[in-house]
Amino acid sequence: MSEHFEWLTHFFGHAIEHHTHVFGSLIVLAFLFICAVLVHFRYRNPQTELVPSTKKGLTTVFELSVQGILDLMEGVMGPNARKYLPLVGSLFIYIFVSNLMGILPGMNPPTSNVNTNLACALVVFVTYNVMGIRELGFKKYMQHFMGPIIWLAPLMFVLELISHLVRPMSLSIRLFGNIMGDHMVLGIFTALTKIGVPVIFLGLAVFVSFIQAFVFSLLSMIYISLATANEEHH
Amino acid sequence: MKKKLAALFAAISTIGVASLAMATEAAAPAVAGNSAGSALALAAGFGIAIAAFGGALGQGKAAAAALEGIARNPGAASKIQTPMIIALALIESLVIYAFVVALILQGKI
Repeated sequence: MSEHFEWLTHFFGHAIEHHTHVFGSLIVLAFLFICAVLVHFRYRNPQTELVPSTKKGLTTVFELSVQGILDLMEGVMGPNARKYLPLVGSLFIYIFVSNLMGILPGMNPPTSNVNTNLACALVVFVTYNVMGIRELGFKKYMQHFMGPIIWLAPLMFVLELISHLVRPMSLSIRLFGNIMGDHMVLGIFTALTKIGVPVIFLGLAVFVSFIQAFVFSLLSMIYISLATANEEHH
Repeated sequence: MKKKLAALFAAISTIGVASLAMATEAAAPAVAGNSAGSALALAAGFGIAIAAFGGALGQGKAAAAALEGIARNPGAASKIQTPMIIALALIESLVIYAFVVALILQGKI
């Protein structure tokens, strides 16, 4: 593939060519931090902190997105959803904004590198295992791995172990493949037909960014709720 | 008419096989790094093609079921749409795994 122009290597030199995803993540963090600071003063003011905002603006965007994520979580996870909202909500917003960075010309989305995605997926993996052990106790959590019938336990243990180990890999590779493939397709079609048709692919990029962030956070919710499922809920 | 078609078919197949043979002769010294380069290229191309075929079939079935559900009950359209999107993304993720393997193979040519 030919050399693609990238703002970060343009400014910082070609030495960081393999590390641009870290700088991209820092840009995403800086953007989210600035948005949070802009919204902060409304929630510090005791007169306006309780009333949802009705004007068009950043606070409405925040409130709508957090309420939307919380509704989705309560649909999937039930009453414990509030406890996991910081993790899943942060993952959703971070992955969504990181994916959206690919639409800006000359920027590489940080999620088009497996390392960023693997970091997010490993956090989810460690979280659902630790929360499962904490809620159910170690013995009962291991019984999930044994399966329903006791004499099939050795076979079931190996199968369940493999399927659990594949989960963070599948989460990260799914996100990586979608975002990198989409970015490549956008680049190829922009080089091929320079005016008009790339708009369709930019729209596709927005759609795919949202759907992949949605699927990542939805699967994280499902893994956490499966790991912490109490038997009395059947 | 049939004789002309048979002659045309014979000519095209002869030229095709001859060019294929010449291509394999010419490709051997042209491969840069890997001696299995042509096999890797074939594997990458066929891998993603078969994966896209299977993925399209699966996604077509999911979309058809969702559309039939919406046609039966138009009021439940938004309730059907969200699980349909989730199902499409999960089916597509299998195609993406094959795409990633094809990319890795293509990088090793």
